[in-house]
Amino acid sequence: MSPFLYVDLGRVRYGLALKLQRHLHRLRRDGRIPDTVLALEHDPVITIGRGGIAAHILAPPETLAPFGVEIVAIERGGDVTYHGPGQLVLYPILDLRGRGKDLHRYVADLEEIMIRIARSLGVEAGRRRGFPGVWHERGKLGAVGIHVRDWVTMHGLALNVDLDPDGFQWIIPCGIAGAKAVSIADTLDRPVSMGEVWVAARVAVSDVLGGEISPAGEEVVAAWMSESLAG
Amino acid sequence: MDIVVPDLGEVGKVQLVRWLVGLGDRVQTGDAVAEVEADKAVFVVEAPGTGSVDQILVGAGEFTRPGETIARLRSR
Repeated sequence: MSPFLYVDLGRVRYGLALKLQRHLHRLRRDGRIPDTVLALEHDPVITIGRGGIAAHILAPPETLAPFGVEIVAIERGGDVTYHGPGQLVLYPILDLRGRGKDLHRYVADLEEIMIRIARSLGVEAGRRRGFPGVWHERGKLGAVGIHVRDWVTMHGLALNVDLDPDGFQWIIPCGIAGAKAVSIADTLDRPVSMGEVWVAARVAVSDVLGGEISPAGEEVVAAWMSESLAG
Repeated sequence: MDIVVPDLGEVGKVQLVRWLVGLGDRVQTGDAVAEVEADKAVFVVEAPGTGSVDQILVGAGEFTRPGETIARLRSR
């Protein structure tokens, strides 16, 4: 497997990350960049996937406004979800033509990455048939939602590490009534720093997707950012 | 010319999420024509050739499978 770029972006506003993803997706489809994985956290945001309906957002706009929570409709699969600080988000921009052209297997790989990160922190999580994502016995620990064109992926996964649970009370997560979102911190009953998770994520991504990770240079990332904003 | 849901690997039924073109629209090879979803993955189906959309066989919200024809193009 050829090496891929891995970029820790830290905390990024959703709209900016979306522009960056769309730009990198275009570059990957054109063969101008190798497979690339973005690792980040978002400011609070609610996104609606292609399978989602606005009725699954329970909070009225006046409740969300003081928190600066945006609502964004996007091209990924799945329903309504919440992103916020304390949640690990990975956006792999991969050409699946080099990886067996199998959507089911790719979703399983994303789930496996989350299962391994959780395990490295001492939390056992698994899959539930018919409900994509990663589950702990106390609730849903992580979600997947992807978009594929030309066999190149965007969007990806979100793993609840240690985040304010209020964000999930504003929505019906994934449109599943009664599904409770939990975090790794909830299940361990202790705070978990994102620092512990950034390292675990890098290892899990490399092990599951295969291939050597090479970090993207700062000047490369800065150029992508400015191109994304210009585009 | 048939527009067919591609082989997506170990994927059974898929839902046709939405049409990006309508009856009579002209499309070219590689244009995005529809989105299908399975396992929280949206896949964009592209036009296999150039022509106008003559028949839509699977409506938005309906289920279909890889290998099935979802629309037909008439080439001029």
